Amino acid sequence: MSNLKRVALFVAGIALAAAAPIAGSAETIKIGVTQPLTGAVAASGNYVAQGAKIAESFLNASGGLLGKKVQLIIEDNKSNPKEAVATAEKLIVRDKVPALMGAWSSTYTLAVMPKLMEYGVPMVVETSSSGKITTSGNPWIFRISPTSAMEAQSFGTKVGQFNIKKANFLVVNNDWGLGASNQFQKMLKSKGIAVGVVETMDAKATDMSAQLAKIKAAGGDTVFVTTGVEQITLVLKQMKEQRVTQRVITTGGSSSPDQLIAQAGAAAEGSFHLLFFAPWFPGSAPNPEVATAFVNEWNKRGHNFAGLTEGFRGHDGIMTIAAAIKAAGKAEPKAIQKALWGVKVDGVNGDIAFIKQGPKGKESAQNIPNVYVVTIKSGKVALP
Amino acid sequence: MRHAVTAAWVVFLFSIPLWMTDLYILHILISAGIFTIAAISLNLLLGYTGQLSLGHVAFFGIGAYTSALVSLGFDLELTDSYTFVFAPWPVWIAFIAGIAAAGLFGWLIGKIAFKVRGAYFVIVTISFAEVVRLISLNWVDLTEGPMALNNIPPFGVAIPGLWEQTFYQKLPNYYLILVVAIVCYIVVRRLVRSRAGRAMIGLRENEALASSVGVDVTRYLVLATVISAAMAGAAGGLYTHYIRIVDPDIFLFIYTVTMVIMVVTGGKGTTAGPVVGGLLFGILPEVLREFASPEVQWVIYGVFMIAVVFFLPQGIVPAVTSWWKARFAAPEGGLGTPEGAR
Amino acid sequence: MPEFLQHLLNALILGGTYALLGIGLTLIFGIMRVVNFTHGELYTFGAYMVFFFVMVLGVNFFASILLAMALGVALGALIEFVLLRPLRGADIDTTMLVMIGAWIAMQNLEQFTWTGIAKSIDHPFPLDPLVIGEVSVSWVRVFVFAFAVLLIAVTYLLIHWTRLGKAMRATFQDRETAALMGVNVKGIHTLTFAFGSCLAAAAGALLGPVFVVAPTIGDLAALKAFAIVILGGLGSIPGATLGGFVLGLAEELGAGYVSSGYRDAMGFLLIILVLVFKPTGLFAAKERIG
Repeated sequence: MSNLKRVALFVAGIALAAAAPIAGSAETIKIGVTQPLTGAVAASGNYVAQGAKIAESFLNASGGLLGKKVQLIIEDNKSNPKEAVATAEKLIVRDKVPALMGAWSSTYTLAVMPKLMEYGVPMVVETSSSGKITTSGNPWIFRISPTSAMEAQSFGTKVGQFNIKKANFLVVNNDWGLGASNQFQKMLKSKGIAVGVVETMDAKATDMSAQLAKIKAAGGDTVFVTTGVEQITLVLKQMKEQRVTQRVITTGGSSSPDQLIAQAGAAAEGSFHLLFFAPWFPGSAPNPEVATAFVNEWNKRGHNFAGLTEGFRGHDGIMTIAAAIKAAGKAEPKAIQKALWGVKVDGVNGDIAFIKQGPKGKESAQNIPNVYVVTIKSGKVALP
Repeated sequence: MRHAVTAAWVVFLFSIPLWMTDLYILHILISAGIFTIAAISLNLLLGYTGQLSLGHVAFFGIGAYTSALVSLGFDLELTDSYTFVFAPWPVWIAFIAGIAAAGLFGWLIGKIAFKVRGAYFVIVTISFAEVVRLISLNWVDLTEGPMALNNIPPFGVAIPGLWEQTFYQKLPNYYLILVVAIVCYIVVRRLVRSRAGRAMIGLRENEALASSVGVDVTRYLVLATVISAAMAGAAGGLYTHYIRIVDPDIFLFIYTVTMVIMVVTGGKGTTAGPVVGGLLFGILPEVLREFASPEVQWVIYGVFMIAVVFFLPQGIVPAVTSWWKARFAAPEGGLGTPEGAR
Repeated sequence: MPEFLQHLLNALILGGTYALLGIGLTLIFGIMRVVNFTHGELYTFGAYMVFFFVMVLGVNFFASILLAMALGVALGALIEFVLLRPLRGADIDTTMLVMIGAWIAMQNLEQFTWTGIAKSIDHPFPLDPLVIGEVSVSWVRVFVFAFAVLLIAVTYLLIHWTRLGKAMRATFQDRETAALMGVNVKGIHTLTFAFGSCLAAAAGALLGPVFVVAPTIGDLAALKAFAIVILGGLGSIPGATLGGFVLGLAEELGAGYVSSGYRDAMGFLLIILVLVFKPTGLFAAKERIG
């Protein structure tokens, strides 16, 4: 007879689940955001989410969109590709968002992409750099961040002044790190620069001594590092401890130099960083008023200044989606996708507009952003 | 009467997709179903043989990875000149391969781990799961490591050349998982009531006594591990072709803990226990999601688990059963009576 | 050759903290028959307490480590008092389930309190390493090693030369007889758990400033402590000490000469090997402590 109890329990569970609020009221326009708010790359994900929230309040302060308030629904993908898929599924199926922004790492973005195809919802990619994202034939992808290839090419025009003879690589073992290492190697080789060893590390690893020992033994004058800021901090400290004196150049724009100065101290001295926004000099950004307004609001909210180099991505991504919704005149996935192709947005990084990439007939969209190089000199961020 | 209720319950489960149109709730039920199957399989070891296997997620993950890899195909660069190419196989065959691989590892681990008992056994099983996780993370050539295996094909049925149906939707996946869950439930029920099952329960109650009356201890433990592992592998296969992405975090200890909580809360050593626990802890997180952040939820589960051990050591199902009996003096033992305890 | 010497030195330094972790766990198991799943959380707790004192309150670095250890004692005693004392006499699986529950609750409380973002802790040591011939090691690691060795020595002295140690050894050998001889077994259990927790918190407090602090750092620490204890044989302090150094060596050489990705797998592979060939661990021939 206890089966009855089981049924009762089960029904109660269902009823509870069903009673929970489903979908939202019609008064808001929802935009879904999936970011790593916990886990290995949590710092960056939180900064992007903070930047996105600033964009949300900017939009609502100027009257919202189509007469409605904008509401961001931010989900934590826990620095994990499977969770990224789960958040996308939840945002699309449950919250019925007409557009997404995410998912920070290339690995998470690549994981989410089949879901976009399945449900037909566009996603603005704000950070991921792997070439695969825009070349795999997914017409729902709109990337505002540069690919590793674009970054390498841009750096290639400046590589002469660094006088590199032989470079090593230390990268995180995912699409982001491996993609960056491939593209930068290609670029270096095309300039006749030798490549030494390529070492990888897990995103959660904290002891890189074995990799650094190999890099030290390989010789060379420069090591390219691609990973999140937490791990860069550890790499810099451990290089100092192990007396690896090679010059460090970080790629991918997630190095937050201020955080490195704060946490790695003297070990960060003399390192170079490729960035997509230089918040120390907002006045010299391509859209100085947008950049200044964003930096001011960021500081006003008491967010960590070091997070600006990531946070701007959230702002630019949301502003891009908003512009498309405005142009489409309705918050429907298909209409937003169509409108995104025509947007022109004054972003913090620069002007955002999309070009076609990938196989014909199902192209993905790619923006051409600006790339900056900064260095750390006597405990301060400087232009090289 | 009992059969009527069981039948009504099964009919109810089958009817859910007919009136439940919210895809998200269906998604929750499917996920809960997959974990319920895993919990049913763990119950065989934990509940019936009394072995606290804390590496159970390894079998789940091995099933998931094997099934994914066989259905996707892979190539391994073994030497510079020779690359081993494995062509993709149909999903159903991949699913069977996943079950077989998990069962094989169950046999291997059973052979090694049952040399020891108690704390040693627990730690060996944890270590096994951790080694498998690290291999899946680092053997990038095979598993794609942290980049995860993507675009895993879903299940499907086809009459070659005529008609084809691929399970992209929730509905067929729901029924598939329901059917597999029922099969696993019946297998465990049959097994524990067979001669082998009585031997296992004898082991749990008193190993020395059981072996002195001629029960081949290791043989039955290994048998239970193989069946349990194969079932967990089946759950992993269902997971992988439904979620369609698998990464090394599938081996995280927390998933084993989830299964243990399901079994212990529902009632270990009862056939219905893991089902109740599985559905409860499959659905509860989604309900709580509206009110509490994930870390608060986990704090609640942790405290809940302690409370269950303290106040309801037998689990929900036996507690409810005995309450029911005391009250209405039902003449026969329900499904919920712990096997061997009546 | 310098590379090999460097690996040896790194292994030695690493082994010190591993031994500390292992001794705490093995002590608790040996005397109380409890597999302590909260061990890793006490490690995390120690690290966060140092973060809190040094980075939030601005307390002196060395004082912060001592404070973290003291709080580790308090937390350990609390866990023993609330969760384990009522369960005395329960079977080992029951206590394990309770400890797993406590572990989950503690880890997520840490995540809730400190968020999932990793924190780093400043230390007062110079950044330039100590250079000995061909090899080098950072000063902070030298300090960590020295402090760990000191704590291990204190543990040995405590167990072999004090009345308390004598009572602990008696409880280890035979709980009932010890109780009959007038040993306060309840008190010994609380003290043992608090002391083991203190060692775990100390390990976290020492390694937090070397690496970073995040809510999940305890998981790997706990798994490694399990591996060390199995290597040395459950309940054996010399075994745990040696097991710690063996694990450090295996990891360092594995990372250096096999693959850095499998560094953390070494311990578990060792366990499986040991259990295939010598199931009771390397040193557990004698059923005694100390």
